Amino acid sequence: MSVLFVLLPLGILLSAGATVAYIWAVKRGQFDDTQTPALRILMDDEEHRRAATTDVKD
Amino acid sequence: MSAPAERWNEPSGVRLHLPLPACAHCGLEVPAGRIEPDAARQFCCDGCSTVFALLRSSELEDYYQVRDRLGGKREAAIVTQRTYEDFDDEALQALVVTRGPAGDSRVRFHLEGLHCGACVWLVEKVCQKVPGVLEARVDLGRQQLSLVYTAEALKLSTLAKRLDRFGYPCHVNVGDPADSAAREQDKKLLIRMGVAAAAAGNAMLMAFALYSGLAQGVDREIWTLFRWGSLLVTVPAVLWCGSVFFQRAWMALRARTPHMDIPISLGILAGFIWGAVNTVRGSGEIYFDTLGVLTFLLLVGRYIQQRSQRRSLDDAALLQSLAPSSARVETETGTRELPIGAIPVGAVVVVQAGEVLPVDGVVLTGSSTLNVALLTGESMPEEVGEGQNVFAGTLNLQSELRICASASGQSTRVGQLVKSLEHSALLRPKIALLADRVAAYFVVLVTALAAFTVWLWWSTSPERAVENAIALLVVSCPCALAMATPLAISSALGRAARAGILIKSGEAVERLAQAEEVVFDKTGTLTGGQLGLAGWCGDESLKTWVQALEAHSTHPVGRALAAHLPRDPDVQVCDAKATLGSGIEGTVNGRNVRVGKLTFALGNAGLPEFALNFAEASRRLGRSLVAVSVDGAVAAVASLEDPLRKDAQDCLTKLQGFGLKLAVLSGDQQSVVQSVAQALGNPFADVRGEVSPEGKRDALALRASGGHVVMVGDGVNDAGALAAASVGVAVHGGAEASLKVADVYVTKEGLGPLVQLFRGARRTLAVIRRGMAFSLFYNAISIVLAMTGHLNPLIAAILMPLSSITVIFNAYRSRTF
Repeated sequence: MSVLFVLLPLGILLSAGATVAYIWAVKRGQFDDTQTPALRILMDDEEHRRAATTDVKD
Repeated sequence: MSAPAERWNEPSGVRLHLPLPACAHCGLEVPAGRIEPDAARQFCCDGCSTVFALLRSSELEDYYQVRDRLGGKREAAIVTQRTYEDFDDEALQALVVTRGPAGDSRVRFHLEGLHCGACVWLVEKVCQKVPGVLEARVDLGRQQLSLVYTAEALKLSTLAKRLDRFGYPCHVNVGDPADSAAREQDKKLLIRMGVAAAAAGNAMLMAFALYSGLAQGVDREIWTLFRWGSLLVTVPAVLWCGSVFFQRAWMALRARTPHMDIPISLGILAGFIWGAVNTVRGSGEIYFDTLGVLTFLLLVGRYIQQRSQRRSLDDAALLQSLAPSSARVETETGTRELPIGAIPVGAVVVVQAGEVLPVDGVVLTGSSTLNVALLTGESMPEEVGEGQNVFAGTLNLQSELRICASASGQSTRVGQLVKSLEHSALLRPKIALLADRVAAYFVVLVTALAAFTVWLWWSTSPERAVENAIALLVVSCPCALAMATPLAISSALGRAARAGILIKSGEAVERLAQAEEVVFDKTGTLTGGQLGLAGWCGDESLKTWVQALEAHSTHPVGRALAAHLPRDPDVQVCDAKATLGSGIEGTVNGRNVRVGKLTFALGNAGLPEFALNFAEASRRLGRSLVAVSVDGAVAAVASLEDPLRKDAQDCLTKLQGFGLKLAVLSGDQQSVVQSVAQALGNPFADVRGEVSPEGKRDALALRASGGHVVMVGDGVNDAGALAAASVGVAVHGGAEASLKVADVYVTKEGLGPLVQLFRGARRTLAVIRRGMAFSLFYNAISIVLAMTGHLNPLIAAILMPLSSITVIFNAYRSRTF
């Protein structure tokens, strides 16, 4: 059971790391707009698809 | 041209509809009059055809594919003819443009006409093609475009104009700095929430080990390790994340006002300090997991509340930014668009028909009719000509006016009124919210019970006494009680917004639910604010003639007649000629017809016998008269009034059914107000006309000091009253000033939403009360357990979230709006 003396602080450290990552994400504005990015990913798709079809034509 | 649908009228009575062609841009039906038989594509309006041509020439036709793929909404394009020169004005730029770190400039526009993902795509693409734009990102939820650009390479007006031509009119929101501060606040709360969640999660994992038998285990060192670990993760959650509550509680204590954060802070701090002491001592109970979850849940509640409130404020700000911000001013080099606030005294402003006057001033050239209802509450349009004084905030109905500005911005009559509102806002009496009132009793009760517990157990064992008292303080920490209000309110605000009612604050909901009296404005609130036909006396067959003749008129009275009289396509009109300020004359079916003011239609003759009674009755009711003469002889007299809204009667009856007292305060003539009250069956306890804006404000302030009074209005003249009332409700189509001060804004036409508003507010308050009852019930159980010494951290850890879940379920499952 003494392995817990290493694992517990390690676990806390790990979750501290995750928290820091979360704080970074909030500060960078990743949660500012939760609606538009979901649409934007579809648009990129659209362009690539078009680019691909033009390639075939050429 | 006759509509194609009519050509397909089969004699057998079977009616076949030839489908109208769809607009090539928006897909809506193209009106029959706009169909061009030879064209390959049809458009429903000029806006759509312009945008279509622009999309093709800019190689952005992909828009249509993107739109179809994203399942976007199809709507007709809005295109204005603004030049956006005011966007280049330095004074305006100083307010809205910020400098980025690399010498770039940043600005945010509110865009009209943003519907879907395809719009996002198009706007971003259009911006990227404009030289000087570094980055363009659209936020669909906020209807905002964030722009990073080089000020040297790009004039903002160029970009705004381009977006406008694509169907996205731009607006800048001058109040934006406050907006970014609010965003920072949101972010801070979000970070605290995340940290509390991480801490609570870890504390719970460790508590799980402790509860499941580690305490009885052989290894005491590991037991100590877990306790210290719990303390370690709880310190940031309680001391940093929870400081939000401690600060507020401290402020409330110093101001000697009750606040829900006081019992919360008491519970959290007592539990934390005692837990820390026990950890150091190496014996006794700890409540770190419960405290962590408590803090996290409370922060979630606060965040949800803040976000829903911000959402309605954002929507209201968006509506405000749509109000015109610029005016056309004549200069030596031609007309320029200037921001309204920057128009100098003495400047010549050009105001077209359909525009709101931006300044106070004197008419230089032109004559027109003004709708002054928003400013004074008078329902009849006012004729103005050269040399007459006109005021900002009135609507030019008929033809172009050139006005020499005598006052602009803050010094106009409207500006002065708005300024006086800051004073009125202070008049509103502060009331403690339900939750805070409950909290006041709660604190007293809990501390008394804790003291009683200590006394009860002291003789048995002083340590057990403190132990039980602390347990009591922790479990009675009113987490669910504190969440009952924000959750119910945020869910109610969301539902209300979907129903077209914007509520700017949660407190307004509570005050609405407890309102005793509703005061209405007349013009534009009880009535539609637009003229309609009230009565007709004389030859009925002339109705179609007058309609056909008035179809050529631009005067509001003429337009009302054209809209409300029956139409007959066979009536022939030629030589229609309008005389400004008098009436219209023309040849109808070969006879000379004059319609207009009595003097215009009658000449010097008096009213004929048959119309005398009618005219007298109409005058008494405050209606205006229009005479019709055929070949010089009077044949009919019509009376016009501002008709009641269709749903006014129904709405008032229902509000009365809620037990509310009703009253009318109007700026219009007493006789007109009386006749409107009569027409509604006089459900009012008080009917007053000819009240000045200041009079309205003072009347409301007086009433609001006695109980909760709701003011419903639309005009600038109501703004003071809206601010002074317990709750101000601005109806659809209201002036910008009233929008700014009202707590509630109805975005749907009519009075129907009012009934929904009151019913919803009452239901919401009921939901809050039910939530509080649930949480107090749970608290009572846990307090009894704590006092009898049966409570341990495990039971606390189960009871606490259970009560919160009940409250959450109650808030989101109940019907409110």
